Amino acid sequence: MTDRRRINAPSGGTSTPIFARTVKDPDSLHTLRPTRARQPDELRKIFLKTGLTPSASGSAYLEIPPADPPTTPSPPASLIPPRSSLKLACAVHGPKPLPRSAPFSPHLILTTTVKFAPFAARARRGYIRDASERDLGVHLETALRGVVIGERWPKSGVEVVVTVLEAEEDVWWGDEFTAGLGRTGGWGLMTVLAGCVTVASAAIADAGIDCVDLVSGGVAAIVRNPDAKGKGRSEGEAETKTEGPYTVLDPCPAEHQEIVAGCVVGYLPGRDEITALWMKGEAGEFAEQVVDRAVQASIATMTVLKEAVKEAAELKFQGSAGGDKGIKSLGVSNDVEMVG
Amino acid sequence: MPPKSGHQRVKQLGYDGDDLYYDDDYSDEGGGDGLSPEDKEQMRQGTIQVKAALASSISVSDAEIQEALWHYYYDIDKSVTYLKSKSAKVEEKKSSGKLDILIFGLKKLFPYPIPRQSSYKHVAVSAAEFFNDTPWLNVPIHRRGEIIVEPLYPRGGLLGGSSKPSKLAALAAARKRKQREDGVASVPDNADTSHDKEPDRAVALLDRLSLKDRAKEKAPPSLGSSEQPEELSKKKPRQTRYPVRRKKSPSPPPVQRREEPSGPIPEPSAAIEIPDLRAPPSTFAAAMIGANRMEPQPRPLRGSMFSLPYIHNGWFTNANAFAGPSPDDIVMNAQAKGQKSKKVPSKQVNGGKSTNKLTESVSSLTIEEAPKVKSKNLNVLQEFEKSNMKKTASFVVIGHVDHGKSTLMGRLLYDLKVIDQRSVDKLRKEAETIGKSSFALAWVMDQTSEERSRGVTVDIATNYFETEKTRFTILDAPGHQDFIPNMIAGASQADFAVLVIDAGTNSFESGLKGQTKEHALLVRSMGVQRLVIAVNKMDTISWSKARYDEISQQMTAFLTAASFSPKNLAFIPCAGLTGDNIIRPPPDGTIPGNWYSGPTLVEALDASEPAKRALSLPLRLTVADVFRGGVMNPLSVSGRLDAGSLQVGDTVLAMPANETATIKGIEVEGEPVDWAVAGQITTLHLADIDAVHLRLGDIVCSPAAPIKNVKSFQAKILAFEHVVPMSVDVFRGRMNAPAKVTKLVAVLSKQSGEVEKKRPRIVQPGSVARVVVEMEREMPLDSGTRIVLRADGATVAAGLLESV
Repeated sequence: MTDRRRINAPSGGTSTPIFARTVKDPDSLHTLRPTRARQPDELRKIFLKTGLTPSASGSAYLEIPPADPPTTPSPPASLIPPRSSLKLACAVHGPKPLPRSAPFSPHLILTTTVKFAPFAARARRGYIRDASERDLGVHLETALRGVVIGERWPKSGVEVVVTVLEAEEDVWWGDEFTAGLGRTGGWGLMTVLAGCVTVASAAIADAGIDCVDLVSGGVAAIVRNPDAKGKGRSEGEAETKTEGPYTVLDPCPAEHQEIVAGCVVGYLPGRDEITALWMKGEAGEFAEQVVDRAVQASIATMTVLKEAVKEAAELKFQGSAGGDKGIKSLGVSNDVEMVG
Repeated sequence: MPPKSGHQRVKQLGYDGDDLYYDDDYSDEGGGDGLSPEDKEQMRQGTIQVKAALASSISVSDAEIQEALWHYYYDIDKSVTYLKSKSAKVEEKKSSGKLDILIFGLKKLFPYPIPRQSSYKHVAVSAAEFFNDTPWLNVPIHRRGEIIVEPLYPRGGLLGGSSKPSKLAALAAARKRKQREDGVASVPDNADTSHDKEPDRAVALLDRLSLKDRAKEKAPPSLGSSEQPEELSKKKPRQTRYPVRRKKSPSPPPVQRREEPSGPIPEPSAAIEIPDLRAPPSTFAAAMIGANRMEPQPRPLRGSMFSLPYIHNGWFTNANAFAGPSPDDIVMNAQAKGQKSKKVPSKQVNGGKSTNKLTESVSSLTIEEAPKVKSKNLNVLQEFEKSNMKKTASFVVIGHVDHGKSTLMGRLLYDLKVIDQRSVDKLRKEAETIGKSSFALAWVMDQTSEERSRGVTVDIATNYFETEKTRFTILDAPGHQDFIPNMIAGASQADFAVLVIDAGTNSFESGLKGQTKEHALLVRSMGVQRLVIAVNKMDTISWSKARYDEISQQMTAFLTAASFSPKNLAFIPCAGLTGDNIIRPPPDGTIPGNWYSGPTLVEALDASEPAKRALSLPLRLTVADVFRGGVMNPLSVSGRLDAGSLQVGDTVLAMPANETATIKGIEVEGEPVDWAVAGQITTLHLADIDAVHLRLGDIVCSPAAPIKNVKSFQAKILAFEHVVPMSVDVFRGRMNAPAKVTKLVAVLSKQSGEVEKKRPRIVQPGSVARVVVEMEREMPLDSGTRIVLRADGATVAAGLLESV
């Protein structure tokens, strides 16, 4: 079904520009392939800020900007950025009374929506939610449901809407270009989901909805770089160079030629609980290990989440209670909230 | 196999119950955490023995020992073997790598209280290890049991779970603490999940996660790396940058943590700083949040669930909200000031007196409500004479059910071109679809769906037509005996009546027993003098003269008996369905021998003498219908103007409600007029009255000569049935009211009207009597009014109200 209400882009989407150099010399394309300059257990930096949407009860914005290449040749080899970044905006509406038509609910009804902006990925997305978006929404709901103390809001509903402004891409654009759009694998969705969990948690905290803990998302993956040896590697990576698969935290799909398996968790550090778990690929015997690594990633993400929430709360309480007294009381109340 | 007897089944049930019972008993004795005192003693002794048996180099927690003991049923040898082999396995793994450095590093890295359970990394700690030799989805039962029965490892097992240590764990913890105090702290303690540390845990975690100044902390080696299978863990165990889940991270107790930073332990080279993961906003993000808008606007504090939108405004918190002038006061004051400033010059010019006079005169002015409708103050009687109005007459069509009253009237209207061909064709089509094609003409009069589907007239239908001499109003009465009250209402409005008789075999006879007779008597007692008898359906008897004569003879006899004078009776043979002899004589050949050459039905109607109009009498109008006349006329009544006249703008009185109303408009025969006189059936659009005050049967009269509400009256009646003192319904036009015949005054002579018998006990049918009727509630009645008394769905008597 086509969407007739809006002016739609051509269905084929926009294609990445092709440069003469890559046509002449196909190998030159591969020199552009980004490689992971981070340690296997190093996450990309995260920008997280709450209180972005004034009309929502709570909101947050999360961004994983592309890392600066460690040693960039002064003119960039290509105009196309080698990696995508992740940009998520989350708005929490509620808790608000349920509509009159809704049946009685003794607890808070949580509704989660994940929507990709049409321009979020290289392939243009429609305005109507597709299957993957709905799937992400369900995963997000799973991750949040155990966190929110729903019993305190009978007959109410809360809506968590995450808008993906820029999504993690599934493969490197060069591969997409050579192998076609079909072979994507959907690995980028895992990073998106982890970001969704984190940003939604921040937004829920911003909305002041009682939670047992902050939940943060983390991704780990088992990757394999078949031809990594001898091709444009950076020095920092030397240690991890191997033919065999190895686990990395916060995988950037563009940086890895092959991802064997991936895992996203929503993790509550305060209670050592996993609220959501999504595994993909053939992890085989390393399944538990990947989960553990994903938990590590989420603990790392939590540092940022904590800071952002705390920062926002400090500013919020400064205005009303005034001075450090407010901050102190915040600290106490926060702790209580975390222990749940 | 033969079916089991009930006895057998009972027996089996009994066995089942016993089994259950024994199960329960058993679990009470041996299962669960509740160890019996003997078991505890055995466990304690066993623990000591195993500890002794184990080499001191191998550190095993008490909980471990006890677990092993439990599973080997306190067999010390087996437990020792098991524990040794287990620890050897782990040691083996640990041996490769920089274990020493790591342990140092760990102390440095986690200098804060983190609960953990075991000093050595035994299998149960990690989910991976715990299920090492266990196939997925096929966990042996004893393993499952371990998870449930043994929450020995407070944070162990699967992720999540209860944070409360079991009794055993608490026991072990207590013991360990004792040991530590004794100075056996070289080995990092295990099962350190005592209750007193629980609350600190989360705080500590938060501190760890949030404080930047402690960002220099190093993470312990991840278990993942140490557990990595050969291929993955060929390399030396790596330091992870991030805190690992604390259940795996052995770290010194919190007391040591404070001493630690100053400790002289060298930093392990592998330790790396935790990078600050917070990124600066990108250009996009900076644009979104605003580069310098780092502090958010103060947002309402959500103390309550649903905060009110204004409570954070300053003025809301201002407790003394009513101290100052209210907004209204401010406005009024301002207005007062404005007035004052205007007044000042006027005073100077006119002086104070004139202003006062002005205000007085203004205040003395009262607004009288002007009548909404202006009367033209016509002299209605002069207007009526001037208008030279055509004769008007209304007649009621009566007769037995299915004798063709409505069809006859439909044919009349159709032939007189009151109804156009198209409507009739439409009706024909509709009638055919139902399968009642002969009803098409009747449907001209019967317009409600119920009447059409049942095929009988239910309520009075009114229609108009005009001949050269007269304007006629048709009142088509229902023939069915269930709707006699409606027929009475119609008859009360009529000047004369058309009695329709079915000439068909048996039909006439059955009608004579039924409503032909009753209707004739009723119209007579309602004051109708003249009767046109339409002998209908002549086509069905092939215009037989004999039948016609027979009918006219019988009817004449009956009607004269009912005190109709023979000169006021006119017999017309006709056929409603074919239309013969209605407005034109039947075509030649229809009547065998042309035996009839008299007038047609319309000619007979035209011959009726105009009724005397009671123009000079006070206004009386019986309400036959109350309805909403349209958007402009919310309340309208219709009915025959019995006496008097009225015009637009008149004030009238509705009885018995005793409410006045103003006439907004008058309609006669669908045309708006300015005035109406007695004899006309009019529609009045009323104003200044509520609909509740008007009901069917009410009387609209002039306020100058109102009709009286009466409770009891004397009436001269013609009895149709035996009349005794009894309960009756009094019908007067549309109005009916329950009443009681209380006294039979006298039986009168039919001819002379003289008293034949005083105070009779009973009035025989057919005799005339004078009775006293008492109403249950007051009704507007005039002397001289025609009334009908009915009881149990039959007409008992009809009569004339003599005196109130």
